[in-house]
Order: sequence, then C-alpha cells, then structure tokens
Amino acid sequence: MAEINKKILKHLAELARIEIDPKKEDKFLADFKSILGHFEELANLDTSGVVPMTGGTSLENITREDDFNENEDQGKGVEGFPESKDGYLKVPPVFE
Amino acid sequence: MDIKGLTIKKIHHDLVKKEYSAKELAKEYFDFIKKEDEKIGAFLSLSEEMAMSQAGEVDKNIAGGKGLGVLGGVPMAIKDNILIEGLKCTAASKLLRDYKASYNATVINKLKASGAVFLGKTNMDEFAMGSSTENSAFKITHNPHDLERVPGGSSGGSAAAVASEMAVAALGSDTGGSIRQPAAFCGTVGLKPTYGAVSRYGVMAMASSLDQIGPFTKTVEDAAILFKELSGQDIMDSTSAPVSYGDELLNPKIEDIKKLTVGIPEEYFVDGLDKNVANKINEVVKDLEKLGIKTKKISLPHTKYALFCYYIIMPAEVSSNLSRFDGIRYGTREKADNLIELYKKNRDFGFGPESKRRILLGTFVLSSGYYDAYYGRAQKVRALIKQDFDEAFKKVDVILTPVTPTTAFKIGEKTDDPLAMYLSDIFTIPVNLAGVPAISIPVKNNTGLPIGFQLIGKHFREADILGIGQLYEKM
Repeated sequence: MAEINKKILKHLAELARIEIDPKKEDKFLADFKSILGHFEELANLDTSGVVPMTGGTSLENITREDDFNENEDQGKGVEGFPESKDGYLKVPPVFE
Repeated sequence: MDIKGLTIKKIHHDLVKKEYSAKELAKEYFDFIKKEDEKIGAFLSLSEEMAMSQAGEVDKNIAGGKGLGVLGGVPMAIKDNILIEGLKCTAASKLLRDYKASYNATVINKLKASGAVFLGKTNMDEFAMGSSTENSAFKITHNPHDLERVPGGSSGGSAAAVASEMAVAALGSDTGGSIRQPAAFCGTVGLKPTYGAVSRYGVMAMASSLDQIGPFTKTVEDAAILFKELSGQDIMDSTSAPVSYGDELLNPKIEDIKKLTVGIPEEYFVDGLDKNVANKINEVVKDLEKLGIKTKKISLPHTKYALFCYYIIMPAEVSSNLSRFDGIRYGTREKADNLIELYKKNRDFGFGPESKRRILLGTFVLSSGYYDAYYGRAQKVRALIKQDFDEAFKKVDVILTPVTPTTAFKIGEKTDDPLAMYLSDIFTIPVNLAGVPAISIPVKNNTGLPIGFQLIGKHFREADILGIGQLYEKM
C-alpha cells in the first residue's frame, strides 16, 4: 500500500484545513507510519465477494412525502453563532 | 444523610417514603462534589441552579400527589458531548470552550421527563477521542481507586463521578469502548446499547455508524432501569430502530436466564491479556456455571482485524463529522486575513493532537487513490467481523470476554504512544463494528484495581446480558 511522507502529510493537512507545527512533523509522521503499517494486515485478508458494511444498521431507507415547512425562526441556534446579523449567521467574505 | 451506595432504586423508594426530599438530596451531592472533585476532576462544569429547580419540581409533584417518575430526583452526571439546552457543551475541546447548547439531546428530554436531576457535565477525551481522558483540553481526571492512574476514556469523567459517589448514575457515549473501558477501570457498570436502540440526536457525532449513548451505574439493575428510560425510536435520528423493550429488562425471569448459553471466544484470551485479569475472568465463568448457565468455547476468527479496521472507519467518519468545527458556526471565532487562514487558525488553535491525528488519518484513508485500499476494504472487513458474531449467535445466546487487557494504567504512561493507547480498546471495538450490545460489569471478590468482564448480546437482546448480569450481581 501507500508510503507516507512529509509531502503527503502536508497535502492532507491542507485538505483538512489543519496546520501541523513543523517541530511536531517528525513525531506525527512516525506515529502515522506505525499505524499505517498495521493496516497492511487487512490487505492480506481475502475479502472477495464480501458485501461491504456501509453503516451501523441494516435498516432499509424510509421515505416520506416531499413536503416542506416554512419557518423563519432560527431559534436559539443563532445564539451559538460566533457572529450573527438579523438572525442569520455572519460569515467572512469568500471572495475579496 | 449518607449518600454512599445510593442507587436509583433506593432513591425512588426513599423519596416515596419521604425519607428526604429531592432538594435535600441534590444539595447533599453538591456539597460532596465541591470537596471530592478537587482531587478527582470528574466534572467540567456544575449546573446547580438547574439541578435545584429540577429537584424542586420533583418535590412539588410528590407533595401534590402527581407521582414520581422512575428517575425522579436521581442525581446524574452527563458527558460533555451531550447537549443540555442553556448549558455549556464543550466536548472538552478548546474550540467549543464558550459554546452553549441551544437545544436538548433526545436522551436529555427523556431523562427530564422521568424526573432526573442534572448535577453537571463531565470531563472526557476531546470529542470522545481517547482511552484515558488525558486528551481533554481542560483537565486530567483521576481514577478514584488510585489517583495516579487514569479513569479510562473517553467517558472517564462520567465513570469517575459514579465510582467516587459524586453521582448516582451518568451518561456516556461509546464509539469503540468509551463507556465499557472506563467502567472497567473505575469499577462501575457500563452499558453500550445495540446500535439504534438509543437516539443519538444531540450527541456531538464522532463516528456516526459506531456511536451510541449509554448509562454508567453502580448496579446492573440500575443500568436496566436507566437503559429502559433512554431507549426508543426517535424521529430526529433516522438510524434509531423501531423497537420497544418490555418488562423483562427490569424483572428478568431466573428460569429463562439459566437456560441461556454463554460463549467464550478463544481469540480474546491472547498474549497481552494480563494474567490476573484472565484469572478473574475465568472465575466469573465458573460463577456463571455455578448458577446453572451453560458455557461453551467459541471462535470469532476475524477478531484480530477489528482494531485496524476500526482505525480506518472511525477516523474516516471523524474527519467528516469534525469538518463542521471551523470557526464559522460554533463558539468563538479567531479572526484571520482570509477565509482559508480563518479555518486553519481556528482548527489549529481548537483541536488537540489526537483530534488532528485522527482527522488527518481519516482524510488519508478517504483520499483519492487510497479509498479502495483502505476505507473500501475496511468496510468489507467490518462485514466479516459482524458475520463472526452472527455465526456465533447461532450457537450461543451471550458472549463473555474481558473488557480490557489490563487494569487502569498510570497517568502519562501511554500519552506519547498512540498505538499503545489504541490497544487498550482491543476487546471492546469489535462490538461497535458489529453493532451489538455489550455491558461491562465489575468482577466480584477482587481486592486490587477494578477489573471488568464483558457480556455481549445479540442485536436488541439487552435483556439477556442485563439478565445474566443481575443474576451474577445477586449471587
């Protein structure tokens, strides 16, 4: 399977929007390698023909009428926002 | 008033007999917590005002002849990843240090309806990721049986609160062992219900296909009482199942319990299992045989793949679930020059090392080019693990195993070695992957640090494991 290195680690951090302290990079990488090494054990297992288990239950999907609720009261959720305006979440600009 | 040894059952009895009031009881608990928790560190916050008003309500209902709920006046501690409206809910993360919940989790509404009194929110590993509660951004929790040792995790605060008598019962969440492992380390009972038995609405999701909420109690009987109150389908959680549990949970028929067959899987008695723990588990097997329960050696052949199967599936779900914590929607926002920097700054400041490690690991196993090799394969291995249990449950009704390979380890012992930390959940993880229920029960006649044994049941057959547990408890 895959070989992990600093370049891949940096790319993953970029994707996950996480900073890795350069001083901790080596430790991070070493821990990562030891965990990934064990993942190889799974590769030796024959899983041909096995149907993957994709969730916690084998419940069937339940569908409902596609009706809608009109509700302009954002309720107390707004109070938990870092910034809000007129009952809406205030976000920083996406395009400068 | 002596609060030592109080149970849900006893409190109900005492309140009916007017031995004390719910308010007196709550006050007694807060007085004790304020002294005791200085050395244990189980609570992140106390909710005295809310508790006294809940207790007052209970007293008013008793006085007015309106009756007493099953949990009426029962002082409980709640893990800090479960939302209680108006109270801080931090998941022990710096990122949510100022976040206040805007609604109640379904389990909280159920407990309130039953009259429970909320003492406060308990410490945990950040976002429920860890096995020792050392990943909390705020404090260390100490094991009440030995203050130099960890209480286990991630629900370590809840386990320690019940074990040190600072709460009669508590709620935790269990994704790979986070209720059962700390229960075993602290000497309490801890139940991980069947996936879908209890609504997850209002618990901060860690790995959605594995998470379940469950009780910590002092007795198996109390676990049965509390589980019955928590369970049930919920329109707010599409994975909650349409089941209802009957009276057999609370009043198991001894004749029926004695007819159950208990399987002992050879794969759980391996190198790394402490000798003393193994001996104690064997004593439990003999005790059950004395009760007339049949035991049988069985095999769960894919057990050894469970740990690393879990460490692919869980981080994958974590990386997705924790993406919402980006400084935009919850708690406090650290400012930055542009949007990407704002995300990074908030997540860097907010997440501890273990959270970062799992987010990165999850991002890796889901990333283009690696998905099939890791995540896709792990889902197939998960199916094989579940199949092991399905096959075993054709031959036996319940499976008995150790909960942990060792007793509670020292604070700081495993913090630098994530792999060693992960291994402490090796016996609890397969249960979450398969979605079956399991309970951790303290072994009797044990003079050293607490040891737990695990009873694993068939899907939605909590009655079997709680039944055997209650029988063992009364021996």
